[in-house]
Amino acid sequence: MKSKKLSENALFLVACFAVLNVTMYLTIHKFWIGGSSFLPMVGQFGDGNTFLFAFVVNLGVIAGAFLGASTSGEFRLRMPRKENLARAVVGGTLIGIGVTLAPGTCTTAFVTGMPMLSVSSFLSAAGIFIGAYVVYKITWRW
Amino acid sequence: MSLGMLALIGFLFGVGFGYFVQRAGLCFAHGLGEVFIGKGKRIVSLFLVIFVVTSLGFLLSELLSPSLGLKPVGQVRGHGFYNLLAGVFFGAGIFLNGGCVLGTLRQIGEGNMLFLVVLLSLIPGMALVVYGLDPLLERAYDVQQILVPELLGVPAPYVTVALVAGAIAWFVPLRRRK
Repeated sequence: MKSKKLSENALFLVACFAVLNVTMYLTIHKFWIGGSSFLPMVGQFGDGNTFLFAFVVNLGVIAGAFLGASTSGEFRLRMPRKENLARAVVGGTLIGIGVTLAPGTCTTAFVTGMPMLSVSSFLSAAGIFIGAYVVYKITWRW
Repeated sequence: MSLGMLALIGFLFGVGFGYFVQRAGLCFAHGLGEVFIGKGKRIVSLFLVIFVVTSLGFLLSELLSPSLGLKPVGQVRGHGFYNLLAGVFFGAGIFLNGGCVLGTLRQIGEGNMLFLVVLLSLIPGMALVVYGLDPLLERAYDVQQILVPELLGVPAPYVTVALVAGAIAWFVPLRRRK
């Protein structure tokens, strides 16, 4: 079997992500939040600016992804094609509804909520599977 | 700690998250697609590693400070109905545009501006709920913040250890299988 460098091993890299998430909780008592972090874009900042803080963290995620892509030669500026715009807008709007209907429980469910044993996250994860599967069944023939 | 300092530290943690997510190629929307076509070994392995490390970390954090430990993330709304519904909308959305939240942020960082359109398209959806549906649904929400151990009446360490053991038992044969 071809051995991979540690820095290219996805399991090691997600373990680092998880350790960082725990470290952030231990040091500043906050954890990574996904979709709800964008609520400041509609004027919702959360108790104690929770969503605003998460928004800033996620700006950092973009910067970090840029760093990773740049250093590995994977960065490539791609402008959206017209034919993909409608799908992106509809998809984005559905995500917007989802993250607001029950804040803090979507992608967050997989990386933070389920490890926290939060009931809301297990329920949301079940819903995510259902929603994604419905779209998969509808679109796979296209 | 001031909000500015907190934000700066948070931003730096975010850079770390983004770097690891980009290098690992993590995206739950793609992962779900892989699961549906029967090739979910990779994403399931990644999820299990995140789950094991984070679960143990969060559980043991209480040893460091009593103010830490397990805490509810988000809320159970309408006895879970709105969480399921939120998940359905979210799942449909991420699958439609091919990127979960982490995946969307990662793709923007990689230069794919289509995902900037996705990110900006969150605004009408969020505004619809915040300013349209929320005021109507508030009475039906019946908000609860509850953890699985409270629901089951079992101490948290037992639940975490059982789930972590289950995750490891799932992970090991996945890595052996060719």
